[in-house]
Amino acid sequence: MSDRKVKDIFINGKIDPMFIGESIAKHSDKKNIGGHSLFLGQVRNDEIDGKMVAAIDYTTYKELALTQMDQIREDIFKKYPLSCMHIYHSLGTVKVGEICLFVFTSSIRRKPAIEACSEIVERIKAELPIWGKEIFEDETHQWKENS
Amino acid sequence: MEIEIISFGKIAEFMANQRLTVDGIKTTAQLKDFLEQEFPPLAGIKYKLALNKTIIQETVELKSGDTVAIMPPFSGG
Repeated sequence: MSDRKVKDIFINGKIDPMFIGESIAKHSDKKNIGGHSLFLGQVRNDEIDGKMVAAIDYTTYKELALTQMDQIREDIFKKYPLSCMHIYHSLGTVKVGEICLFVFTSSIRRKPAIEACSEIVERIKAELPIWGKEIFEDETHQWKENS
Repeated sequence: MEIEIISFGKIAEFMANQRLTVDGIKTTAQLKDFLEQEFPPLAGIKYKLALNKTIIQETVELKSGDTVAIMPPFSGG
Protein backbone atom coordinates (compact mmCIF):
# COMPACT_ATOMS: atom_id res chain seq x y z
CA MET A 1 0.00 0.00 0.00
CA SER A 2 1.28 3.47 -0.86
CA ASP A 3 1.56 6.07 1.88
CA ARG A 4 -0.33 8.77 0.00
CA LYS A 5 -3.06 10.41 2.00
CA VAL A 6 -6.45 8.69 2.00
CA LYS A 7 -9.09 11.17 0.79
CA ASP A 8 -12.20 11.91 2.80
CA ILE A 9 -15.46 11.52 0.86
CA PHE A 10 -17.95 12.40 3.58
CA ILE A 11 -20.05 15.55 3.79
CA ASN A 12 -22.30 16.35 6.75
CA GLY A 13 -25.91 16.47 5.58
CA LYS A 14 -27.11 16.90 2.01
CA ILE A 15 -24.85 17.59 -0.97
CA ASP A 16 -25.74 21.08 -2.11
CA PRO A 17 -26.53 21.47 -5.84
CA MET A 18 -24.42 24.66 -5.77
CA PHE A 19 -21.40 22.55 -4.71
CA ILE A 20 -22.07 20.21 -7.65
CA GLY A 21 -22.22 23.17 -10.05
CA GLU A 22 -18.98 24.58 -8.66
CA SER A 23 -17.29 21.16 -8.99
CA ILE A 24 -18.19 21.09 -12.70
CA ALA A 25 -17.00 24.68 -13.18
CA LYS A 26 -13.58 23.85 -11.70
CA HIS A 27 -12.83 21.63 -14.71
CA SER A 28 -13.09 24.32 -17.39
CA ASP A 29 -9.31 24.83 -17.43
CA LYS A 30 -8.61 21.10 -17.93
CA LYS A 31 -8.67 21.32 -21.70
CA ASN A 32 -7.97 17.65 -22.51
CA ILE A 33 -11.27 16.52 -20.97
CA GLY A 34 -13.91 15.61 -23.56
CA GLY A 35 -16.63 14.16 -21.34
CA HIS A 36 -17.84 14.20 -17.77
CA SER A 37 -20.16 11.65 -16.23
CA LEU A 38 -22.10 12.41 -13.05
CA PHE A 39 -24.23 10.25 -10.84
CA LEU A 40 -26.39 11.93 -8.21
CA GLY A 41 -28.15 9.77 -5.66
CA GLN A 42 -31.31 11.36 -4.27
CA VAL A 43 -33.34 10.33 -1.23
CA ARG A 44 -36.65 8.87 -2.43
CA ASN A 45 -40.04 9.03 -0.66
CA ASP A 46 -40.50 5.27 -0.49
CA GLU A 47 -43.75 4.03 0.99
CA ILE A 48 -43.29 1.08 3.37
CA ASP A 49 -46.34 -0.50 5.02
CA GLY A 50 -48.34 2.66 4.43
CA LYS A 51 -45.69 4.94 5.93
CA MET A 52 -43.73 7.49 3.89
CA VAL A 53 -39.96 7.90 4.19
CA ALA A 54 -39.16 11.52 5.16
CA ALA A 55 -35.36 11.32 5.41
CA ILE A 56 -32.39 8.97 5.63
CA ASP A 57 -29.88 9.19 8.46
CA TYR A 58 -26.47 7.91 7.28
CA THR A 59 -23.71 6.53 9.50
CA THR A 60 -20.43 4.88 8.59
CA TYR A 61 -17.36 3.09 9.87
CA LYS A 62 -15.27 5.91 8.53
CA GLU A 63 -11.75 4.50 8.75
CA LEU A 64 -12.77 1.30 6.98
CA ALA A 65 -14.95 3.13 4.44
CA LEU A 66 -12.10 5.42 3.42
CA THR A 67 -9.66 2.53 3.03
CA GLN A 68 -12.21 0.62 0.93
CA MET A 69 -12.87 3.74 -1.16
CA ASP A 70 -9.15 4.23 -1.70
CA GLN A 71 -8.91 0.71 -3.12
CA ILE A 72 -11.88 1.31 -5.43
CA ARG A 73 -10.31 4.58 -6.60
CA GLU A 74 -7.02 2.82 -7.34
CA ASP A 75 -8.74 -0.05 -9.22
CA ILE A 76 -10.82 2.33 -11.33
CA PHE A 77 -7.85 4.54 -12.25
CA LYS A 78 -5.99 1.40 -13.38
CA LYS A 79 -8.95 0.16 -15.44
CA TYR A 80 -10.06 3.38 -17.17
CA PRO A 81 -8.13 6.33 -18.66
CA LEU A 82 -9.64 9.00 -16.40
CA SER A 83 -8.51 12.57 -15.96
CA CYS A 84 -10.40 13.05 -12.70
CA MET A 85 -12.60 11.27 -10.20
CA HIS A 86 -14.51 12.96 -7.37
CA ILE A 87 -16.72 11.17 -4.88
CA TYR A 88 -18.87 12.58 -2.07
CA HIS A 89 -21.30 10.77 0.23
CA SER A 90 -23.54 12.29 2.90
CA LEU A 91 -23.51 11.48 6.59
CA GLY A 92 -26.26 12.41 9.02
CA THR A 93 -29.75 13.40 7.96
CA VAL A 94 -30.66 13.90 4.30
CA LYS A 95 -34.30 14.72 3.54
CA VAL A 96 -36.40 13.31 0.71
CA GLY A 97 -35.51 15.09 -2.53
CA GLU A 98 -31.99 15.99 -1.39
CA ILE A 99 -28.74 14.63 -2.86
CA CYS A 100 -26.82 12.04 -0.79
CA LEU A 101 -24.24 10.71 -3.28
CA PHE A 102 -22.21 12.53 -5.94
CA VAL A 103 -19.87 10.59 -8.24
CA PHE A 104 -18.08 12.60 -10.92
CA THR A 105 -15.66 11.16 -13.49
CA SER A 106 -13.96 12.89 -16.41
CA SER A 107 -12.03 11.55 -19.36
CA ILE A 108 -10.71 12.49 -22.76
CA ARG A 109 -13.73 10.67 -24.26
CA ARG A 110 -17.21 9.87 -22.97
CA LYS A 111 -17.13 6.07 -22.71
CA PRO A 112 -14.49 5.62 -19.99
CA ALA A 113 -16.13 8.43 -17.98
CA ILE A 114 -19.58 6.81 -18.20
CA GLU A 115 -18.41 3.26 -17.51
CA ALA A 116 -16.15 4.25 -14.62
CA CYS A 117 -18.90 6.35 -13.04
CA SER A 118 -21.36 3.48 -13.19
CA GLU A 119 -18.86 0.97 -11.79
CA ILE A 120 -17.92 3.29 -8.90
CA VAL A 121 -21.60 3.71 -7.91
CA GLU A 122 -22.13 -0.07 -7.87
CA ARG A 123 -18.98 -0.65 -5.82
CA ILE A 124 -19.86 2.11 -3.32
CA LYS A 125 -23.23 0.48 -2.69
CA ALA A 126 -21.76 -3.00 -2.31
CA GLU A 127 -18.45 -2.37 -0.56
CA LEU A 128 -18.53 0.74 1.63
CA PRO A 129 -19.57 0.29 5.28
CA ILE A 130 -22.31 2.91 5.25
CA TRP A 131 -25.76 2.42 6.76
CA GLY A 132 -28.94 4.31 5.94
CA LYS A 133 -31.70 4.55 8.52
CA GLU A 134 -34.99 5.43 6.85
CA ILE A 135 -36.89 7.88 9.04
CA PHE A 136 -40.65 7.91 8.46
CA GLU A 137 -42.93 10.92 8.73
CA ASP A 138 -44.18 9.62 12.11
CA GLU A 139 -40.54 9.52 13.35
CA THR A 140 -40.33 5.72 13.51
CA HIS A 141 -37.55 4.16 11.46
CA GLN A 142 -36.28 1.10 9.68
CA TRP A 143 -32.83 0.20 8.34
CA LYS A 144 -32.40 0.39 4.59
CA GLU A 145 -30.89 -2.56 2.72
CA ASN A 146 -29.32 -2.21 -0.69
CA SER A 147 -30.87 -4.45 -3.34
CA MET B 1 -7.97 -11.72 26.73
CA GLU B 2 -9.60 -8.38 26.03
CA ILE B 3 -11.36 -7.61 22.74
CA GLU B 4 -12.93 -4.33 21.72
CA ILE B 5 -16.30 -4.72 20.01
CA ILE B 6 -17.74 -1.96 17.85
CA SER B 7 -21.12 -2.24 16.18
CA PHE B 8 -22.97 -0.36 13.47
CA GLY B 9 -26.39 0.19 11.91
CA LYS B 10 -29.22 -1.86 13.34
CA ILE B 11 -26.78 -4.00 15.36
CA ALA B 12 -25.76 -0.88 17.33
CA GLU B 13 -29.38 -0.67 18.55
CA PHE B 14 -28.96 -3.74 20.75
CA MET B 15 -25.19 -4.16 21.11
CA ALA B 16 -23.23 -1.18 22.42
CA ASN B 17 -19.54 -0.62 21.76
CA GLN B 18 -17.69 -2.35 24.59
CA ARG B 19 -14.54 -3.98 25.84
CA LEU B 20 -15.11 -7.66 26.42
CA THR B 21 -12.96 -9.81 28.61
CA VAL B 22 -13.31 -13.22 27.04
CA ASP B 23 -11.67 -16.41 28.15
CA GLY B 24 -11.53 -19.46 25.98
CA ILE B 25 -12.26 -17.56 22.77
CA LYS B 26 -9.47 -17.90 20.28
CA THR B 27 -11.06 -17.26 16.90
CA THR B 28 -13.60 -14.99 15.22
CA ALA B 29 -15.91 -17.99 14.76
CA GLN B 30 -15.93 -18.59 18.52
CA LEU B 31 -16.50 -14.88 19.10
CA LYS B 32 -19.53 -14.97 16.77
CA ASP B 33 -21.03 -17.91 18.68
CA PHE B 34 -20.44 -16.07 21.96
CA LEU B 35 -21.99 -12.82 20.72
CA GLU B 36 -25.02 -14.59 19.23
CA GLN B 37 -25.67 -16.16 22.65
CA GLU B 38 -25.19 -12.88 24.52
CA PHE B 39 -27.20 -10.87 21.99
CA PRO B 40 -29.87 -13.19 20.53
CA PRO B 41 -31.14 -10.70 17.88
CA LEU B 42 -27.71 -10.98 16.23
CA ALA B 43 -28.36 -14.61 15.34
CA GLY B 44 -31.17 -13.56 12.99
CA ILE B 45 -29.13 -10.96 11.07
CA LYS B 46 -26.67 -11.30 8.22
CA TYR B 47 -23.47 -9.55 9.28
CA LYS B 48 -19.80 -9.18 8.44
CA LEU B 49 -16.79 -8.74 10.68
CA ALA B 50 -13.85 -6.43 10.33
CA LEU B 51 -10.76 -7.22 12.38
CA ASN B 52 -8.61 -4.17 13.12
CA LYS B 53 -10.23 -2.23 10.24
CA THR B 54 -9.95 -5.02 7.64
CA ILE B 55 -13.00 -6.96 6.48
CA ILE B 56 -12.52 -10.67 7.02
CA GLN B 57 -14.25 -13.42 5.04
CA GLU B 58 -12.93 -16.43 6.90
CA THR B 59 -12.24 -17.41 10.48
CA VAL B 60 -9.20 -15.65 11.90
CA GLU B 61 -7.35 -16.05 15.20
CA LEU B 62 -7.85 -13.31 17.76
CA LYS B 63 -5.30 -11.75 20.07
CA SER B 64 -5.70 -9.49 23.07
CA GLY B 65 -6.25 -5.85 22.12
CA ASP B 66 -7.94 -6.64 18.79
CA THR B 67 -10.86 -4.52 17.63
CA VAL B 68 -13.70 -6.41 15.99
CA ALA B 69 -16.40 -4.50 14.10
CA ILE B 70 -19.81 -6.16 13.74
CA MET B 71 -21.46 -4.83 10.57
CA PRO B 72 -24.94 -5.46 9.15
CA PRO B 73 -25.48 -5.35 5.35
CA PHE B 74 -24.29 -2.06 3.85
CA SER B 75 -26.84 0.44 2.58
CA GLY B 76 -24.95 3.47 1.35
CA GLY B 77 -25.75 5.47 -1.75
